Amino acid sequence: MVCSCEDVSADDVTEAIAKGYTDIESVKRYTGFGTGMCQGKQCHATVATLLAREAKSRPEHVLPFTPRPPLNPTELSYWASVPVEPNVPVLGGVPAALGVTPGVHPLKPDVPVPARAQVVIIGAGIMGLALAYNLMRRGVTDVVLLEKGYLCHGASGRNGGGVRMQWGTATNIALARRSIELMKGFARETGINVWLRQGGYLFLAKGHEVAQKLERAAELHNRHGVNTRLLSLEGARDLVPGLSMKGVQLAAFNEEDGVIFPWAFLWGYAAALKKKGVRIETFTRVTGFEQSEGRVKKVLTDRGEIACEVAVLAAGAWSPPIAALAGVSLPNEPHRHEICSSEPLKPFLGPLVSVLDSGLYFSQSMRGEIVGGMGDPSEPPGMELGSTMRFLARYSQGLLEQLPNLSQVKILRQWSGPYDVTPDNSPILGRTPSLPNLLQMSGFVGHGFMMAPAVAERMAEWMCTGQPDELFTRFNLDRFAAGRLEREDMIIG
Amino acid sequence: MPRLDAEGTDISIELDGQAYPAKAGEPVACSLIAAGEPLFARSVKYHRPRGPYCFAAACSSCLMRVDGVPNVFTCRTAAKQGMRLERQNAFPSARLDMFAATDWVFMKGMNHHELLAGVPVAQDVMAVVARKLAGLGKIPDAPGPAREPALVQHAELVVVGGGVSGLAASQALLERGVDHLVLEREAFSGGRAAYGVPESHAVELPLPSPRVRYGHNVMGLFEDGRGRFLAVLANERLIQLYVKRLLVAVGSHPPLPAFANNDLPGIYAGRAVSRLLRRHRVLPGKRIAVVGEPGEAARLAGLVESFGGEPVAVGTEPVAAHGLNAVSSIEVKRRSGEHEKVACDAVAVCASGSPAFELARQGGARVVFDGTRFIVEADAEGRTAHPGVFVAGEQVGPCSVAESHERGRRVGVAL
Repeated sequence: MVCSCEDVSADDVTEAIAKGYTDIESVKRYTGFGTGMCQGKQCHATVATLLAREAKSRPEHVLPFTPRPPLNPTELSYWASVPVEPNVPVLGGVPAALGVTPGVHPLKPDVPVPARAQVVIIGAGIMGLALAYNLMRRGVTDVVLLEKGYLCHGASGRNGGGVRMQWGTATNIALARRSIELMKGFARETGINVWLRQGGYLFLAKGHEVAQKLERAAELHNRHGVNTRLLSLEGARDLVPGLSMKGVQLAAFNEEDGVIFPWAFLWGYAAALKKKGVRIETFTRVTGFEQSEGRVKKVLTDRGEIACEVAVLAAGAWSPPIAALAGVSLPNEPHRHEICSSEPLKPFLGPLVSVLDSGLYFSQSMRGEIVGGMGDPSEPPGMELGSTMRFLARYSQGLLEQLPNLSQVKILRQWSGPYDVTPDNSPILGRTPSLPNLLQMSGFVGHGFMMAPAVAERMAEWMCTGQPDELFTRFNLDRFAAGRLEREDMIIG
Repeated sequence: MPRLDAEGTDISIELDGQAYPAKAGEPVACSLIAAGEPLFARSVKYHRPRGPYCFAAACSSCLMRVDGVPNVFTCRTAAKQGMRLERQNAFPSARLDMFAATDWVFMKGMNHHELLAGVPVAQDVMAVVARKLAGLGKIPDAPGPAREPALVQHAELVVVGGGVSGLAASQALLERGVDHLVLEREAFSGGRAAYGVPESHAVELPLPSPRVRYGHNVMGLFEDGRGRFLAVLANERLIQLYVKRLLVAVGSHPPLPAFANNDLPGIYAGRAVSRLLRRHRVLPGKRIAVVGEPGEAARLAGLVESFGGEPVAVGTEPVAAHGLNAVSSIEVKRRSGEHEKVACDAVAVCASGSPAFELARQGGARVVFDGTRFIVEADAEGRTAHPGVFVAGEQVGPCSVAESHERGRRVGVAL
């Protein structure tokens, strides 16, 4: 064993390296080493040594994975004991500005990127990978994906894995529904388990207005074939024993919603793509675009230029600065959302529970951890990926209010990711008005993971057949200038 | 007898409903070892037997459900009369665990990402089974005690760790009249100088500093609009300790060198064995194989012998441990290259520590790989990439107690 918390053997590490996971963050995610109760204290150096030997990495290329707070597992009750000042802007975060390496990444490959490709997709998160996968299924394999970090570095590797059909608009309901259908078949298609567990989503409403919103949403869901039920307090307690329902007026439940294991999704798509020769260039940054006659001719990177027919911007919350390199202004704003994971516990929590008023959500992962988060209205916009104690305090208070028996359960690890927020909480899709061969695929406001399989399927069809699809006109970037907003209000986290 | 003297108050604790003797206040993991009980739990995936390894809350092998609270580090939990311990993840019992079959079936390892993926029905059945088997501890049956509101405190300079280097730095700071605090998670200071593997030549122990706050466990470094602060747990209360400058002197974690069955109960980090002997006066077995790094192994073997144990296979390279629920023999490679199987009751694995770089790194220090371990990058006076973060002792790489003292002193002088 190299990691006795998670039963990871030296052979498991070697196998991960053989599969191409040659940086420590990726080996951690693929094997699970360093994610247990000791958080890598026992095994980090052993795995690094194995990696240096097996992958023949030079020592300066062996970087530790980011050590996440807290330093030791710490009970929710202690974090909940910290008073929170509600209207103070959330500042700072740890680890100190090292979460994202600025400039050239030390693990940037020495070889140049391919000189040309039919399609260049910027961002190998769930959106970019799902799109490439769907293009591949339609026979388009001359595709290069550019990713500035390791696979799973962005928001696709940082989310809670919730998937739900309970949305506030017909379009989102339909997309999420299709996504869940595709997720069910994912393992058959790619040979990788994503552990979809349909334990349902249990929404709780405290305030009168939020309760009304739940009622309206349930009606909409039922009209579109989603069996959302409104529940009494007792009904909700039957689903989650021990739930206090303190201050809650109404609950809504759809049993087909659930949680998946996000990382496996990226690995599954990536493995399928690599088999067909699609290039996924990690640790590679986009530095600019070459344009002429109102079209993108080349995508410039820190590993050379790629001539292309079409470029797709699918970099989530990192999209606006990349779009700016092409002279395009996107209205998206990154907002930090923090999340944490508890120690592993035996299964006790079926659904994902969310208090819609506060944005608190929590669910139990396949490995038994309680994974959850809570948005903070005082969070200023900006690309900040550090973690705060304020979050731990607010989350612990919110969680213990509803599940007081968890007070001595310990937080193991916290991290954050950016929500890619647009003015109307709806995505930006389709052609860029000023640069028609630069396609937009961002702005999913923290909920892109669950939408990606369905959106990518539609987008690949639209790209390959040229048949009009209202998704790419309704959600086009031009709607902001035209004042034609598409509002969605069932946003949580 | 594994317990070497009769000092301390005799109490009784309960493990899975059975009574065991213990000494009040000692780590409860230590009580069980003294009672000849090295099997503490079953592991999360393959249900392999687990028993304490590091005695430093830096592995997960000693976790138990204690008085209804899951996943408690028993190496850090003081024994109390009537304490109820439960082995986790074991069905029907840790000694005879049904699911240990997983370990035999998947002897070559199990890639759960690909296992049965896409196989109709089997995939769904597996998902249900995997969910049922997941996790470690059972959730508590009732809410825990109410906590007092967190305290807010301020300090100019905080030394984290009251080991040799932290104390040496504190001494230098005291001599120069620099106000500071030393936070030590244990109830005693001196770290490995006090209870580690003895050094080859006598080392002068640093004096306990009057600035040490004992039982102060640093859980994290954070920041907000007011600046940086440490989250410190002390006396069952959280303290938000705002700090201008930080000296990280938290030493190293005991690594687990890779060899077959290195996770069997009865296999301990070398420094765990010296701690059991020197602090708790418990001999974890009669015949102890003292393997690994030859220098440290020879010194530890001397210590084992002086406590009445029988050191074997001293300074050899471990190849594979054997035993059902605890180690009973170990295959080692001697310096001559021969392999040999040696019977033993316990194994002590000597290896230089992996610097505990987490706190320094979170504070903005750079961490680099030296070929075998990650070390914090710092100059001779402990300066890191972050102007407010200094490091001393084993943070910058393995060193003797004497060197650690010297490093701590230099940083203290510079501060």
